[in-house]
Amino acid sequence: MRPIWLIIFATLLLSQNLAFGATDSAYLAELVARSRQLRLAERQEWRKLVHYVPNLISPGVHGLVDSPGFYNAPDGKDNPRSELDATLASFFSDIEESNEQQNPQCVFVARYAWLAEQLAFDPQRLTRRICKRYQQWHAALNPAGLTLVFASAYINSPSSMYGHPLVRVDAKDQDEHTRLLAYAITFAANTDESNGLAFAVNGLFGGYPGAFSILPYYLKVREYSDLENRDIWEYRLNLSREEVDRVLRHAWELGPVYYQYFFFDENCAYHLLGLLQVARPELDLAGRFRWWAIPADSVRAITDHPDLVKKVVYRPASATVVRHRLGGLSKPERKLVKDFSVGRSAVNDPVLGILPAERAAAVLEASQDYASYRRAIGKDDVADPAGLARDLLTARSRLDVEAQTPEIPPPEVQPDQGHRSSRVALGAGRKEGRGFRELSARATYHDIMDSDGGYARGAQIEFFSLALRKYDTGAARVERFTPVNILSLTPRDAFFQSMSWKIAAGWQRVRTPDGNEPLVFSLDGGAGGSWSNQSSTALWYVLFDGSSRLNSDLVNGYALGAGASMGSLFDFNPRWRVHGYARSVRYFLGRRDTTRTLGLEQRIALGRDIALRVDVAHNRESARSYNSATASILYYF
Amino acid sequence: MKKFIAVLSLVVALPTAALAANDNVGGCGVGSLIFKGQSGIGPQVLAVTTNGSFGNQTFGISTGTLGCTQDGVVRSNMKTAMFIDSNKDKLARDMSVGNGETLAALAHLLGVESQDQVAFNRLTKDNMARIFTTESVATEQVISALREVLAADATLSRYQTAL
Repeated sequence: MRPIWLIIFATLLLSQNLAFGATDSAYLAELVARSRQLRLAERQEWRKLVHYVPNLISPGVHGLVDSPGFYNAPDGKDNPRSELDATLASFFSDIEESNEQQNPQCVFVARYAWLAEQLAFDPQRLTRRICKRYQQWHAALNPAGLTLVFASAYINSPSSMYGHPLVRVDAKDQDEHTRLLAYAITFAANTDESNGLAFAVNGLFGGYPGAFSILPYYLKVREYSDLENRDIWEYRLNLSREEVDRVLRHAWELGPVYYQYFFFDENCAYHLLGLLQVARPELDLAGRFRWWAIPADSVRAITDHPDLVKKVVYRPASATVVRHRLGGLSKPERKLVKDFSVGRSAVNDPVLGILPAERAAAVLEASQDYASYRRAIGKDDVADPAGLARDLLTARSRLDVEAQTPEIPPPEVQPDQGHRSSRVALGAGRKEGRGFRELSARATYHDIMDSDGGYARGAQIEFFSLALRKYDTGAARVERFTPVNILSLTPRDAFFQSMSWKIAAGWQRVRTPDGNEPLVFSLDGGAGGSWSNQSSTALWYVLFDGSSRLNSDLVNGYALGAGASMGSLFDFNPRWRVHGYARSVRYFLGRRDTTRTLGLEQRIALGRDIALRVDVAHNRESARSYNSATASILYYF
Repeated sequence: MKKFIAVLSLVVALPTAALAANDNVGGCGVGSLIFKGQSGIGPQVLAVTTNGSFGNQTFGISTGTLGCTQDGVVRSNMKTAMFIDSNKDKLARDMSVGNGETLAALAHLLGVESQDQVAFNRLTKDNMARIFTTESVATEQVISALREVLAADATLSRYQTAL
């Protein structure tokens, strides 16, 4: 473009903002020309700041942000170059900052900083606006560093099964003991919807706006660690002062915007990575998650850059602390705890006075923690919980000994160090004397036979598991397709009376009396209990099951049944796990049948992401018994 | 496919969002709520910051809800009150054992210097029952009791001004 055309173009751009002069247009034209020369609109920094991603089918890019105010150009969502031109033009605006509005230089404080650096803005020709609100905000955060905080999965609160990440802004005057006072930046869907179905449907089509928010970290700790009982992992990031500021400037830009929230890809994990990656020009954290973002994997995206993590800190949830406190008590002491915390004995019980002060303190602290845990999970069988808490606290404050808080070692495996969350398996086996080969894949995430390191023990969450099987004679066919399969085995003891449960929905082969094996849709659920040994190497469970089947090949087209399953998991060592189980279901409505399975599964982990499985079973279906066996090799990726 | 996947995962993600939405009290006012000892300003700030991100404010707080926070950060004159309000249970717990990070954070807010930290922990432990007269005590009462306790102590009385 010739200079004169650039100036006319610049004048047009500027005319969108009310006040401008000839000198402004001339300088804007210069800036636009230089930005074209430098190809700034194609640079990674620009793509990251405006959140452009490649289009799925057509060439070109589009911006992920859905609020129109985020774009200065009318076609800014799809056109990085015109957005860059319009952004430069907006910087000439003379809007004064107030509580209601900001100058574009302040609204787009990160874009301004980057463009000013690339184009060396001349303050004589482009007035630098003072961004007082941004400065006050920045001063209140008083930033020294950033930490990626990961609230790990807790299966019995279904909302948290995947874990949840947030970014904490660590203050300069903060130490190990005052990090509660830092701020947390989170990304979440904004909705008042309480109807589960409406929520699901709307979330599916991106019907809810997702947005960033910032709030005191202590509110998040309370929510995760105290109310939801989730262990928290903190990954301190190794960023320079300027890198931290780049992220915060961009956070300021993202504060007022919204995105359509899609739960699987454009979710909290994805957008937090999108924010963090502006720290360094070459850093690409979100790119690989375009289609699939699981919060634990977002932690991996960070730890895969070894120079990015300075330190990892583990913060046990309240329930974890209670477990450790109880573990340090003798049996009679534990009984005291139980009696105190449910109000069965009064705190002035003479037994307490016999104990040495340290032991009495340990008992009172454990009682208090356990009583608040019970309140947090909604147990309201104590007559006056507030009075009880006060009695326990007052009694404790009268003992002149140190806090009896137990040392809680962090789990050996961090959430980013467990097996990867997708899995493929290649296997071979026999069923009723016929050989077969099987290829199976699971989109995500963990089952009870996988190694537990980095995951919640006894928590199985599988989404989209598919198995294809080919018998030696015959064509390949779908053997199983299970979109969802959740099993929660939370051990019970005198203090924690969690329920174990399962739910699974999908298609599987079912034998009919005529010998066929149609693919039948089934929906299974169950509830019961599980128990563990002291060292957590063994776990037993009993579940009462309900099952329904739907298929036109079944007589009557459906079957409804009830039954039970029981089993035991045993770890000979961390690599070798054995699972023996028995299950029987009697289908009493629709197509009647009684099915029985007696099986033994074994897993040997060969490495973090590779394992062997050998499964054998004796089955009875449609009044016929048969055996089956499969050996397979599993790879996690 | 990905949309299809979303459906199933949604059900799973539901309660968090519902939790965030339920506290939709809005409006921190000008801090008067703290002194009414009502539902607590912590949850309200939470509600304010997780909703209404579409106003002019960055980290949106819509018009009329100014008071506790400005652009998402807590106003400096509200910091201690809001912290106490949101952490009463844990503060009482920490005071009863004379130690803990919630108590350390409060000391930091009050500007307690490191050489006075032990004395501060000791003092609040000895007076725990006075500061938290009941477990459901109003924030205002906690603050005034804490002020009195500090004022009565020769070395720590200078920190009462921060309350």
